[in-house]
Amino acid sequence: MSEHVVSLTVDGVEVKVPAGTPVIQAAERAGSVVPHYCYHPGIPSRPAQCRMCLVEIEGQPKLQPSCVMIAQEGMIVHTQSEQALEARRSVIEFLLLNHPLDCPICDAAGQCMLQDYAYETGQLSSRYEEPKLVLGRDRIAEDILYFADRCIICTRCVRFMEDIAGDNSLVVAQRGHKAYIDTFPGQELEHAFRGNIVDVCPVGALVHEDFVFKARAWDMDTAPGICAGCSQGCNIEVNVKENQVVRVKPRYNADVNGYWMCDEGRRHLVMANRGLRLDVPMIRRGDVLEAVTWSEAIEWIAASAPWGAGGVAVVHPGESNETLFALRELIGALGIAGGGYRMSRGEEVELPGFPRLKLRQDRAPNGAGAELFGFSETDAVPVPEAGQTLLVAGDRLLDAGSDYGAQAGFYVYLGTHMTEGASSATVILPLAGAGEADGTYVNFDGLVQRFHQAMQPPGVARPGWMVIDRLLREVEPDRPPMRDVAAAFGSMAAATPELEGLSWRGLGLKGGRTAGRATVTGAR
Amino acid sequence: MTRKIHPAVVSAQPFQVANLRPTDRLFEDEEGRDRLEKAISRYPDKRAALLPMLAYAQERNGWVSPESMQQVAEALDLTPAYVNSVATFYTMYNKHPTGRHMIQVCTCVACHLCGGEEVFEAFLEATGTVPGAMSEDGKYVVMEAECLGACGFATAVQVNDRYFENVTPETVGEVLARLEQDGGE
Repeated sequence: MSEHVVSLTVDGVEVKVPAGTPVIQAAERAGSVVPHYCYHPGIPSRPAQCRMCLVEIEGQPKLQPSCVMIAQEGMIVHTQSEQALEARRSVIEFLLLNHPLDCPICDAAGQCMLQDYAYETGQLSSRYEEPKLVLGRDRIAEDILYFADRCIICTRCVRFMEDIAGDNSLVVAQRGHKAYIDTFPGQELEHAFRGNIVDVCPVGALVHEDFVFKARAWDMDTAPGICAGCSQGCNIEVNVKENQVVRVKPRYNADVNGYWMCDEGRRHLVMANRGLRLDVPMIRRGDVLEAVTWSEAIEWIAASAPWGAGGVAVVHPGESNETLFALRELIGALGIAGGGYRMSRGEEVELPGFPRLKLRQDRAPNGAGAELFGFSETDAVPVPEAGQTLLVAGDRLLDAGSDYGAQAGFYVYLGTHMTEGASSATVILPLAGAGEADGTYVNFDGLVQRFHQAMQPPGVARPGWMVIDRLLREVEPDRPPMRDVAAAFGSMAAATPELEGLSWRGLGLKGGRTAGRATVTGAR
Repeated sequence: MTRKIHPAVVSAQPFQVANLRPTDRLFEDEEGRDRLEKAISRYPDKRAALLPMLAYAQERNGWVSPESMQQVAEALDLTPAYVNSVATFYTMYNKHPTGRHMIQVCTCVACHLCGGEEVFEAFLEATGTVPGAMSEDGKYVVMEAECLGACGFATAVQVNDRYFENVTPETVGEVLARLEQDGGE
């Protein structure tokens, strides 16, 4: 037996864990989840103050908090013994003394650890007959509300701010049953990663104001995604109700973002798909852009585009690898030699307690992917010569006027939003936006990560790779089709040495490394 | 009036002296800087001087105001929120203005048996206040106190840093008259 491994028995199951593992984690490995509040695997400080994770350890006279008790060789742990259950029931009874039980209007209902454990271990009614203490609610930050009555003072939020965010301005005020979480009177919490205090809250005490009363936990659809806010590529969970993003939460990935994400990322997807969306293909007939069906648009482009004649192109680093790969093929077929992309930049924000995660300067998810497919960064949109072909994909042309591209001979605009710069387009093809398609991004670190469709694109908008594949097959009928995203990824990986050995299925939800990471340059 | 205080007793000062030398800035005069320096010198790190400095703020102003908390935070390199958290944890730091005479009536076991509750009620009636709230003229605040350590002379009443013993509801008027006569000291 190595001295770095200890073996112990939890509820009759023998497990081997690395030395130094707390009992609560060893128990999890043995299949026994010990209820807990103040313990959070991502927060280093463990005050053992909620007393919920008490377990019985043979040979020890009293119950021990399993979050701080380190597993020892030969330990025999009972997480479900009568004594442990009794202790847990008592903790729940204490926590519920002044709890308002407003689950029917609480946003955490259905995802609340107090609710779960009260159902699991608690009693049907309370023995407490005194009037409940009412503490009211408060605004903790510009976008975060605090319901003091629901709070169980686990201090996860305070310790996240202190240990991970390095900001000591969220504290426990008062004491005992009157204790509540507060900032200094008159001040609000200002930190680029403050939204995580809502995620670590095991109950409904801390809520994002833009989510309050929006959706019940069981009414939302959820899809795993990748945050498109910057090149970090945080793994996220997109919560959708009635085809609208109502909430974005971080999804655990130790290599990228741990348990955390920044506030800008949370807002990004909620805001990204607002505005005037393109929902139907349009082709120019005389002075007007006329809405047509996909088959009409595809056939028309195949017949009238100046294939092989050359031109200029600009793409967007927010498009998926599959779309960028397809765009490269399309640009090649049009005879355009290489395209550019524009990257918006912002200030870098660090998270001191989790240095791997930063809000990166590159405020688009796939700059590395754009580089990988041969696009290079430019500062301005390309200006075509008279009669030349112009292709714009994904770039929203926010700085272009309505006469942009007017001199082009053939102007293809593929995008999600109608914009002034597209007014002169010969053909407009509607693409699925962020959260509306499956695909992959390459993050700043060369990690290829999958994201999944969370909602329906508007109208007949479709993912870029699907549109372009259909168009290219109209021109060259022999091309192998990309029937689904896995096939699209397969065709892409086969043609890209850096993606060798990667497959859609193989990436899973944790991503895969690009081979020869050094070739992915330019990402910050 | 400036009292020179030896560093050894700097944190052992009476925890309230009501509203005698109200000031906006705690650490801008010599006395304040001196107290701060002495308190810091007693501990291995600055943060530990927080309790004595809050006590000093209360000693000077009669209560610990949000402004005082901010000044203490700045002086000790802490966040105001943290100072607030500590100040609100301890009940003996007054978080509201206490008036000129802070009357604390012991209602713990011994005094309770000897009529502490009645004395408390009598003080409230005589001053026309509710528990813990300052009278309109800023003269009095009446609150219940835990054991004042004068159980042999129940009921004990502490006014600022001064003790009155064997107080009964009948002698409440006398106590108030003496406070009136002596001013704040």
